[in-house]
Amino acid sequence: MTEVTTTRFVRPGSLEEAVGILRDGPGKWTLLAGGTDLLVRMRDGAVRPEGVIDLTGVREMSDIGVVEGHVVVGALVTHARLAGDDVVRRHGMALAEAADLVGSPQIRNRGTLGGNVMNASPAADAVPPLFVLAAEIRLVGPAGERWVPVDEFATGPGITVKREDEILAAVRFEAEGGTFRSRFARMGTRKALAIAKVSVAIGARRAGPGGDLDRVRVALGAVAPTVIRARKAETLLEGARLSEATIEAAAAAVMDEARPISDIRSTAEYRREMCGVLTRRLLNAAEGE
Amino acid sequence: MSGKKDNGRYAVGLTVNGARRDVVVQAGETLLDLLRRHLRLTGTKCGCEVGECGACTVVLDGKAVNSCMVLAVQADSCNVTTIEGLADADGLHPLQEAFLEVGAVQCGFCTPGMLMSAWAVLQENPGPTRAEVTRAIAGNLCRCTGYQMVVDAIMQAAKKPD
Repeated sequence: MTEVTTTRFVRPGSLEEAVGILRDGPGKWTLLAGGTDLLVRMRDGAVRPEGVIDLTGVREMSDIGVVEGHVVVGALVTHARLAGDDVVRRHGMALAEAADLVGSPQIRNRGTLGGNVMNASPAADAVPPLFVLAAEIRLVGPAGERWVPVDEFATGPGITVKREDEILAAVRFEAEGGTFRSRFARMGTRKALAIAKVSVAIGARRAGPGGDLDRVRVALGAVAPTVIRARKAETLLEGARLSEATIEAAAAAVMDEARPISDIRSTAEYRREMCGVLTRRLLNAAEGE
Repeated sequence: MSGKKDNGRYAVGLTVNGARRDVVVQAGETLLDLLRRHLRLTGTKCGCEVGECGACTVVLDGKAVNSCMVLAVQADSCNVTTIEGLADADGLHPLQEAFLEVGAVQCGFCTPGMLMSAWAVLQENPGPTRAEVTRAIAGNLCRCTGYQMVVDAIMQAAKKPD
């Protein structure tokens, strides 16, 4: 067996304690939540920490709640829980749908929202939904807390604005499920255990069936170094009504804005085409609702 | 919190198949290592070690997990059920009986993990649809059976009283 190499393990009971351990040992520690990515990277030697801070004992990072008009999801909430949570489904359906497609049952039972965001993978399933929900990321460090808009959080594959002494503690988005709707779709080699070749999330407000759209947001996964917004498609749809013509125009705009590459999982051409297909699918479904 | 020992070793106390077990592990050892190396419960298989094949599936506090993706120290105070915990003094578990009757076992390497995923879903949902069963074993790879007999066996077991 290949070994997971680390020599120390601590399991703090509070966020304050975790921040203190991190502050007192700069460069020594790696943060562990669900472990579904970290243990792979520790085993192949990509990450070789002196010690591991297991965050799973931090209760305040494990809750889902509504605070001052926002849904606040603790970083430790698992994909399985996100997928089935009534508050998340009401206010952030795209996020629940994405969580339900992550990995496998075993991965969804361990993997966390915070971990998915921290990986900063352009193919991370939870991130396009967070873009359309205009989510903010709560970072807590020795100097206190700050909230970072999700579209400013990852700056490249695996690279984020989180400082080494900070912990990603929670994610929040507006609790406006009564009017704002969001959906997610993705394409992979198979339904389970396949990283997305491409994914699309769309969110908007609509004044009743057949009404005008506003606050339209469209986000694309796995077609650029980070998740991106398709702003031309958003502009096209803003103030418009869903019709065959607007849906076609939006799909074309999305294909134009995608900046895919060819890699082990897919080709640039296929990814571009599928961005359009998924956009059409999501908008057609919304038109019928 | 698990007790710190010397040289990066940690005392872990957990319940495995209903019995309390105390083990001293290294910080980097996984729950899979704890089960196979320390407790000699080798029914849980070591497959890919990256969370993709499901051969190491066990049920941790009621949830199916890949034991290669959990550090042994994290299982402190937890309740673990492995393939060795399914059969009892009266004989095989109905799921195991169904796998034999239907012919859902070929090489057998995926079978313990497959059974644990099946067991976990039946604990939560005793009357699953075929689609729900298929989804429940989506994280367990089998290169022999083509899955049909596995799904048949789980559906058959679900119809019988436990």
